[in-house]
Amino acid sequence: MTTLEENSGPVNDPTTDYNIFDPEFVRDPYPTMSDIRESACPIAHSDRWGGSWFPTRYDDVVAIAQEYEIFTSRDIVVVPRSGLGVEGPYAGVAAPPISSDPPDHHWHRRLILPVFAPQAVAKYEQTTRDFCNQLIDKFIDSGEADAGTDYAQQIPVRVIATMLGVPLEMADEFTSWVRGVLEVGLTDPKVRFESRLKILNFFQTQLEDRKKNPREDDLITDLLNSGDKYPVTDQYVLGVCNLMLVAGIDTTWSAIGSSLWHLAGHPEHRKQLRANPDLWPTAVEELLRAYSPVTMARIVDRDTEFQGCPMKAGDRILMAYPAANRDPRQFEHPDEVILDREHNRHVAFGSGIHRCAGSNLARLELRVALQVWLERIPEFSLVDPATVTWAGGQVHGPRVCRVHF
Amino acid sequence: MCSIAAPEVFGSDELGHATVLIVGDLPAELHAKARRAQANCPEDAIIIEE
Repeated sequence: MTTLEENSGPVNDPTTDYNIFDPEFVRDPYPTMSDIRESACPIAHSDRWGGSWFPTRYDDVVAIAQEYEIFTSRDIVVVPRSGLGVEGPYAGVAAPPISSDPPDHHWHRRLILPVFAPQAVAKYEQTTRDFCNQLIDKFIDSGEADAGTDYAQQIPVRVIATMLGVPLEMADEFTSWVRGVLEVGLTDPKVRFESRLKILNFFQTQLEDRKKNPREDDLITDLLNSGDKYPVTDQYVLGVCNLMLVAGIDTTWSAIGSSLWHLAGHPEHRKQLRANPDLWPTAVEELLRAYSPVTMARIVDRDTEFQGCPMKAGDRILMAYPAANRDPRQFEHPDEVILDREHNRHVAFGSGIHRCAGSNLARLELRVALQVWLERIPEFSLVDPATVTWAGGQVHGPRVCRVHF
Repeated sequence: MCSIAAPEVFGSDELGHATVLIVGDLPAELHAKARRAQANCPEDAIIIEE
């Protein structure tokens, strides 16, 4: 049950048969999410893709996120692993702390949090701004660009490579590996397995290099040297590098892409942002709410009943943060983008102990990417809305998004 | 989030966890910002005592 062919076919009732890889759902998931949320069955179930539950109301998603002992993170991918993924030289390498449960979760997270604290990520602001300007330099004179491929896709990979101290020239390779794990690979187990192998082989070499030639002020060196405080193993450090690449690129890229796609169609919002720079903090949160890119999974630890749903040990739950963030019980006019929204307790970064550790970096990248774009390209619009392509499943956002200016 | 909404009231420690910068009563001019931080805290962790 891991390929598109096995899981395709028309969806008659999304509350009993949703398909997260249905092309229409990938393009625009919000109407289906709303249908499920407002039905008699707001926690839907589908047998497709190995079977999963799909909670769509804000309160339910938050409650599940808080109950980490019942709803575990032993697998956080939205589709089951194929047989391929659990074998091989890196079989035990996970993605700590996102894939960790307590008690290990505590130190897994403790070790990486300092890297992502607000004051720590602030030092990447100018670097991010420079990357954005360099990218725009390449296409601004042509009057047309792919805001997805030429811009949004290029920014987070460079920032993450800088943080990890790995070659920026490999940006396109990193991107293709991450897509292989999180996008293309979700419906193609062979691609997923091969991409994971490429990522881990690459970082294994980086680890060996840091052991021979330790670097100053270097994340991988620092992680390897944390053994005096915590039981750090190579497998753990490999897992963290894996997570930073996989979780730090596709996600923020999608948020930047969705925001540019939105701004391309909303001249009034472009005008508002240009006229009032004080809007940025709330605008960034609002764009994150309205176009939350990420859906994570949880695995049920033991048979339990949740809101009348009989969940069995081993069942997969899809944490539909994008659906929760448009729940009218929590947000007024949830389908509208309101750049100065006052009350916005969104869960784009999740909730509870697994709340995104990189949220401060993601916020910074999103704000800077949009600010630089609007400074240089104040007016722009989609070349043709019909030609925009979207990725979905684990991470939702535009891929090809041509604009002219 | 709170340190973005109300930087005078909230800071963050070396782990990025929120800290409260003002001990005791908040000056009136910061009430609106503090309420905004409360309304946007993703963990619903801020309590304002009136």
